[in-house]
Amino acid sequence: MFYSPVITNAAEAATNDKLHLFKYVEDPEQHKLETYVKHCGYQAWQKVLAGMKPDEVIDEVKRSGLRGRGGAGFPTGMKWSFVPKNSPKPRYLCCNADESEPGTCKDRVLMERDPHGVIEGMAIAAYAIGCHRMFIYIRGEFGHPIRRMEEAVAEAYKGGHLGKNIYGSGYDLDMVVHTGGGAYICGEETALLNSLEGERGMSRIRPPFPAIEGLYACPTIVNNVESLAAVPHIIRHGADWYKKMGTEKSAGTKIFSLSGHVNRPGNYEVELGFPLKKLIYDPAYGAGIKDGKKLKGVIPGGASTPFLTPDMLEKANLDYESLQSVGSMLGSGAVIVFNEDTCIVWTILKLIHFFRHESCGKCTPCREGTGWLEQVIHRIEDGHGRQGDLEMIENVCGNILGRTICPLGDAAVMPIQSAVKHWRDEWVYHIEHGKCQVKPHFPFK
Amino acid sequence: MAQDVKDTQQPKTEIPTVTLTIDGRAVSVPKGTTVLDAARQLGIHIPTFCWHPKLKSVGACRMCYVEIEKMPKLQVSCATEAMEGMVVRTDSDQVKQGRKAVLEFILLNHPLDCPTCDKGGECDLQNLTFRHGFDDSRFEFQKYRFTHGAEHTTFDDVRIGPEIVLNRNRCILCYKCVRANKEAFGEYDLGVYERGNIAEINAAPGELVDNPFSGNLVEICPVGALTNSDWRYKIRVWLTKTTPSVCNFSSTGANILFFKEDHQNKIFRTTSRRNDAIDDGWIADVTRYGYQIVGSPERLRTPLIRRNGKQEPATWDEALELIRRRFGEITERKGKVCIGGLASPTLDNAALYAFSKLFRTVLKSNNVDYRIDYKMLPTSDGSLYLRLSRRPFRIADLDTSDVIVTFGSDLVREHQLPYLRVRKACSFNAARYFSLTPYPVKSADVAESELIYRSGTEEVVLTAIGLAAVEMGLVEKSLAAEFSRKVEPKTLAEASAICGVDEESIRLLARAIADARKVSMFTGEIVSGSPARDMIAAAALNLNRLLGIEQRGQLAALAHSANSVGAEKLGVAPAPPASVVAKLKELWGQYPEAEPCTTDKMLALMRKEDIDGFFIVGADPVMTYPERQFAVDGLEKLDFLVVCDLFETATTELADVVLPLASWAEFAGDYTNLEGRVQRAERAIKPMHQSKTPLEIINLIAERLGGRLFETDQHMQREVSALLALPDQAHAPGEFLAVVPASDENANGSALPLYVCDDPHHSGHLTEKAHSLANFCGEAYVEMSPDLAARLDVTDGTPVRVESEAGKVVVAVRISDHLDNDVVLIPRNFAATAVNGLQLRKRRVDRVKISKVVD
Repeated sequence: MFYSPVITNAAEAATNDKLHLFKYVEDPEQHKLETYVKHCGYQAWQKVLAGMKPDEVIDEVKRSGLRGRGGAGFPTGMKWSFVPKNSPKPRYLCCNADESEPGTCKDRVLMERDPHGVIEGMAIAAYAIGCHRMFIYIRGEFGHPIRRMEEAVAEAYKGGHLGKNIYGSGYDLDMVVHTGGGAYICGEETALLNSLEGERGMSRIRPPFPAIEGLYACPTIVNNVESLAAVPHIIRHGADWYKKMGTEKSAGTKIFSLSGHVNRPGNYEVELGFPLKKLIYDPAYGAGIKDGKKLKGVIPGGASTPFLTPDMLEKANLDYESLQSVGSMLGSGAVIVFNEDTCIVWTILKLIHFFRHESCGKCTPCREGTGWLEQVIHRIEDGHGRQGDLEMIENVCGNILGRTICPLGDAAVMPIQSAVKHWRDEWVYHIEHGKCQVKPHFPFK
Repeated sequence: MAQDVKDTQQPKTEIPTVTLTIDGRAVSVPKGTTVLDAARQLGIHIPTFCWHPKLKSVGACRMCYVEIEKMPKLQVSCATEAMEGMVVRTDSDQVKQGRKAVLEFILLNHPLDCPTCDKGGECDLQNLTFRHGFDDSRFEFQKYRFTHGAEHTTFDDVRIGPEIVLNRNRCILCYKCVRANKEAFGEYDLGVYERGNIAEINAAPGELVDNPFSGNLVEICPVGALTNSDWRYKIRVWLTKTTPSVCNFSSTGANILFFKEDHQNKIFRTTSRRNDAIDDGWIADVTRYGYQIVGSPERLRTPLIRRNGKQEPATWDEALELIRRRFGEITERKGKVCIGGLASPTLDNAALYAFSKLFRTVLKSNNVDYRIDYKMLPTSDGSLYLRLSRRPFRIADLDTSDVIVTFGSDLVREHQLPYLRVRKACSFNAARYFSLTPYPVKSADVAESELIYRSGTEEVVLTAIGLAAVEMGLVEKSLAAEFSRKVEPKTLAEASAICGVDEESIRLLARAIADARKVSMFTGEIVSGSPARDMIAAAALNLNRLLGIEQRGQLAALAHSANSVGAEKLGVAPAPPASVVAKLKELWGQYPEAEPCTTDKMLALMRKEDIDGFFIVGADPVMTYPERQFAVDGLEKLDFLVVCDLFETATTELADVVLPLASWAEFAGDYTNLEGRVQRAERAIKPMHQSKTPLEIINLIAERLGGRLFETDQHMQREVSALLALPDQAHAPGEFLAVVPASDENANGSALPLYVCDDPHHSGHLTEKAHSLANFCGEAYVEMSPDLAARLDVTDGTPVRVESEAGKVVVAVRISDHLDNDVVLIPRNFAATAVNGLQLRKRRVDRVKISKVVD
């Protein structure tokens, strides 16, 4: 079996007890049950079934301060507590492994190299909400992680970690590995549930929230892979241990997928609150901008978050609050770095192309707006921009932002708005001169 | 606007209310109401595209933005629940800007081909753009054009169903059609393909949108994306006028509007006229396209008189004179009882009443009936089936029932709108639905459990439910003992073995009925058409008494035709209930003493030449009477037969005088639906050709025969109203009735049970003349399970010979997607295939043999 060739900071994690997610991620046998158990695997699950009540599990996770790692950063334990206690309906847990935010590749590594960690986290979460059938919805393009996950689930059943009467506790738990149909929108939780039900992957209007009415109209919790993978460690080491890491409001560690014009692109697990600049420039992580160029801008949390400029970088730490204070978001933790040779108009064209292509078509502003924006931006990039185009882009973005069913509309326009704000001169130059200010073009055009 | 308020599912008393302020006005609404509905209650119109009162809100079009205090973003009012103390603005600058932006987005790729679009004049997009939109566009690019699948067609149109044409360029993707098809009709033949701004609505690959409710999809389309070939390019909508009417093809009585043009004396289309008590705004295709029979070129133009064995055109005067003379001769020769009459239960109240009055006062005969297609009709007022059929029933109560049981009813074929209600109750209110039929039916896909019983064991199934309740201890001991004494068989195990339904399913159903908060249970055509229906009714009434169904809901045998209930209440049956007879005596001062004869008995008497003259209005017994030869033999023996109908039919062929009858769209009349609700259908157009309304014909004949039925119209109205006002509820028997299952009459092992039914797109003998309906289904078929087809070595379309003791027909095979047992279905709606020729009227279940046609 091969690994996807991603650089990680597993070596650092091996010696640093805080970095739990990546501790064994470079161990070529870690995906096997035997190795996982050797590395204290399934101890948390056993501990939970041996004596913890579901509410105690929820409290522990609540106290740990763990927040959703998929993008929105909603407190995980709080989410679990929303499941109605007295509903006669079955409850479901779905692990959102439809990782498709451009620049993000952290869940893939976890599923590929430490699948049992994900299963254990899911099992504990399932127990906490009283679920007996849990699903993992894996992005369809992830051939290797899907196979790894399926093998791991089969092993877990065989090892008695899943199935009927687990560890003699009387608790039954089944797990289904579901392969996605290839749509970015299915990473949005309600669209994911639609897709899982066999419907077209389109987001649902909320309320009702999935915790009340989700999969098959039953209470459902949807959690990101990374959030769930952290759960066994919280149970094993205790909430206090977890809370000590990171900042006050952003506890724990997070994996950041560093990509773009850096010398060492890869997945790095760091404590939240880690300085963004250090992630890019420290030799242990990004090791600086490629070819000694200057930095132009950074997208800190995946393609849907606003750009940061080099001077904003000084103040930016990798936690929810800090990035918000500089006008961006932590998102899914995909840090994309652009050097000085990047044409911002071209970059935005690529982004809006992606969002236009991935808009599900359900609500009007996103469906029609992304297409229109792509056409206008293409016109500017192509050297045929017109006076007033920038104002129109800003206006159209304003008509999409906050007016769609799901966050895809917001995701599509926020980088555009920030790019127009930060690099307005470049846009104007494009429109006035019909060509790009930055020479040469983006290296691989 | 009041009618557009979404109906609340629960009685209002149970739900707390919330008070909010909309545009400065306070309104109190039940908790759970959306802001949009609350605004509509105040008469504030919030524009929408994707919202539909009978579908779940999806918030897709974003047209219904409102501003709510303390919420930073605009909210979609269709999906925002009204909360206590909310302050809502529907006309702020931000809201107006939001609407303008949405309209601008929607119009980006809309072709704006309004001059050639059929929706022009009634298009939501036109109207809302006019009201809320920009007058200019900032979009300077080529509009996206959907062409694939539509090469070389006008305006890139794609035909996606027998009657539906799709134009994807005009589509604004509100998804109403797809949602309605799925949520309300349970059909999956329409879907969304691709995504983003090239997402398109289309028929599922390899399928046609041909479900029996498909016309609704066109009607709810807010733009000209879905049009029907019946209406498109015929007339601009603003040149038409509308007439309110009701459906004449089902007992539900869906409310409809005719769109007509006076100068052409022509109806152009039918749309729904939403009435939440009856139809929820949905109408079946047979209702929508059935109007086409009115303008059919095959309509009878003049009266016909048989001269020298041949029917020739004649004047009304000649025809009426002949009727006077011949009826007079027959009466003189044999005495008055030898004339009989059969009126269609699709006629209006006035005509049916006049028909009965003509026979009973002028001809002094009790030989009058309206039941044209049932087997072995009950004769007496005491018939148990009639007691069951006279129980009160409300269609809207299906919505709030938590357990619904249908018995012997293929809902999609006979009660289409109640079927949609059942679906609604299941999918919106999580009702538990149980379907009991002798063969799997389409409607059972929402059922918690579908119980398939052996053909002809209806009463055993009902008894089994009672026995299960007794055995599980769900009923009082004394009641249980009394019940068990009266019924056969005595144990659930025995009953289960006879009817072929497993005990566990019966127990589940019995418990569901016993535990239900509100039950709706009704029986259908398989019961009403069974010669054993009195026995089945007894079993149903027993169950009612045992489990107290009516104390917690409703139980009834549903009527079949548009005005069956009216005919029953007005005493058009040979032996009406005593209360009706008393009232008639009071109104008329007389009532004939003659022995009452049902249709069946009259046909028998004709064979013996005890009835010589016969008068039929709007019915076609040769085609619909279950045992064609019996009907033909009788009618052929007649000395004189008068038939009024819209078209030449198998029955008019035998007639001595044929009178052209006006259809229900050509006169104003009242119809009583299955609930007993009297609804008026206004006159849309003048009677075509020389046709006359049924009431006019009956009056004219009465006058010729020397009797005047009514002094004035007011007199008639008063008499009809007096009869309709009679309380019609038959008392449920206060004791258990003996139920002994009939012995198996047909040991004929290899023969297949035959069920004669309506095609989902047809009803009765006239709808095949509607060309749109013929496009859906134009000829008869024999529907069978894939397994049976494989054994017979036939495929879809293979002609086969279907043979019974009574006769045979050759008909094409249709392989069913839901039948899975050895039962065959043949529709009765096609004159070319006389399926009633296979039936024997005394046979409980007709059985046939099928063989391949060898040429």
